Amino acid sequence: MIEVLPEGTRYELPGQASKRARVVDTLKTLYSSWGYLQVDVPVLERYHPHHPRLAQSFKLSDRDSGVLTLRSDFTPMLANLVRTNYPRVVTGEDPALRFQYAGKVWHAINPDMARTREFTQVGLELIGVSNARADAELIHLARESVRAVDLVPRVEIGNPGFVRALFQLAAVPKTLQEGLADAIDRKDQSTLVSLLGGLDLAPDLFSAFQATLDLYGDVGVLDAARRVAPWEETCRELDRLEGVLSEFEDNSDLLLDLGMARRLSYYTGVTFRAYTFDFGQPLLGGGRYDGALLPFAAGFAIGLERLMSALPEAGEPETPLVMSLDDVSARTLRAAGFSVMRALTTDVEEARRQAEAYGIAYLLAEQLEPLVSDPPQQEVLERLLEGDRG
Amino acid sequence: MAEAGKLTIALPKGRIMRHCLGVLRQAGLNLELAGMERALRHDAGDASLIEMRNGDVPTYVELGVADAGIVGKDVLLESGSRLYEPVDLGFAVCRLSLIRLRGVRSDLRRVASKYPKLAARYLRDVGSSAEVVKLAGNVELACLTGLADAVVDIVETGGTLRANDLEEVDVILWSSARFVVNRAALKLKSDQLKPLISSLREVAQTVGR
Repeated sequence: MIEVLPEGTRYELPGQASKRARVVDTLKTLYSSWGYLQVDVPVLERYHPHHPRLAQSFKLSDRDSGVLTLRSDFTPMLANLVRTNYPRVVTGEDPALRFQYAGKVWHAINPDMARTREFTQVGLELIGVSNARADAELIHLARESVRAVDLVPRVEIGNPGFVRALFQLAAVPKTLQEGLADAIDRKDQSTLVSLLGGLDLAPDLFSAFQATLDLYGDVGVLDAARRVAPWEETCRELDRLEGVLSEFEDNSDLLLDLGMARRLSYYTGVTFRAYTFDFGQPLLGGGRYDGALLPFAAGFAIGLERLMSALPEAGEPETPLVMSLDDVSARTLRAAGFSVMRALTTDVEEARRQAEAYGIAYLLAEQLEPLVSDPPQQEVLERLLEGDRG
Repeated sequence: MAEAGKLTIALPKGRIMRHCLGVLRQAGLNLELAGMERALRHDAGDASLIEMRNGDVPTYVELGVADAGIVGKDVLLESGSRLYEPVDLGFAVCRLSLIRLRGVRSDLRRVASKYPKLAARYLRDVGSSAEVVKLAGNVELACLTGLADAVVDIVETGGTLRANDLEEVDVILWSSARFVVNRAALKLKSDQLKPLISSLREVAQTVGR
């Protein structure tokens, strides 16, 4: 009987699975080369009413009537790991921690179009420090992550502090903040105008809100922002952004969007997303969330399935080069880095038939026998075997 | 995003399509449609246009197959897509309302709608535990036949309601056509989209209201 998979989950067949493993390896190697250490956290978490993604989490009942949640995000658990094991980093006595992780997360409700509920996140956290150099390092690594898989990155940077400063200047009541932030984040002019209508704002503040919808593009956006929002509170936030940009030798391919106002109460500093050309959805997202889970922390996560769908289709999985009936010689070839499948029969005829069915290039019995026309690496293999048998 | 350089725009088919084309042309796009009767995809001068049912527009734009599109706010809200919606084009104005047989005010038990999500959200907001049934069209019929004791549907002029002895009990939201943009496209094709958005805003101000 064929079981139907739970909604939003899927199998990963060999071609795709090995490609995916290669992508993860590439990213891990990149992050290791910058000193980010691998850590892992449990998939099961205790139910916590303040978990930032609680509404999306799968809930499970534990045997003693406790409630568990299935990991829906790495960051809260990593923050826990740091609080438990590195208290001196939290207090700032020890230097910052650089962590990388890769693993699955589950969302019971997924508002996205694809309705996937099982994802892989690969990400970084830089914990115990809050300055422009740290932000720039993460943004740089976000950009390098996209380059590492041979895509052309465009990283867009925002600072929700800018919108928060406008809220403060306009004394926007708490009840209105969420709706207003959402309208700004969606660049929804008509909703913005109708919400602001009830606030009785000074004309320059009103037009600053409206202008925020169009404050996106290259670094020139900062000057435009200073013109429409010349107040101390807003300029301080623009200075912070400028400080991060000045860390880059070349910031010409970075994009800014001062209307990024997603999760306004969670992100406290810069936020960023990476896009690539001819792909309609962001590949990764992150930012600084000082005070949300730890005093000082920032990071980003790549949606691996998203990233994979922006890459060219995976080809056929790699077939082993040799089918072998000779265990000793096979060991020599494997040691030299070749993949050798062991025949599950001692009958040469049967082994040859199976090798041909797999599409394997050589049969290794008494001698090395090519099974395809123009077999690869023949000289190398024969030299290795000669040394072995001679 | 189908073709590098050229914008792909998703438009709802039917009567409203001509209106959309008019607005885009007024905003300065050169759009020549040759033999548009049966084709779903037009390479129309300054942009590629794809034609679809209005409910599909948010999907095409969210997934980036189209860079931008035009769709009613009602349809956009029902879809739940978080797209950029920088311009209220001001046409196709209508309201989404709760409609009942004239004079009937009994407790709501079952509500029929083409907009099940918006209907459910409205009922939750007013504290009703009525169930929602999704219908594909002519939802007024649900009221007339007793399938449901109210419907949530679009009202433009109210003519259909009067003719069927129905009345609008509550206005849930006002809708009009929105220019919507894919999140990546706005950033990666901003040299084309930014000027288009600002021209569309001008057009909407002079013509729409």
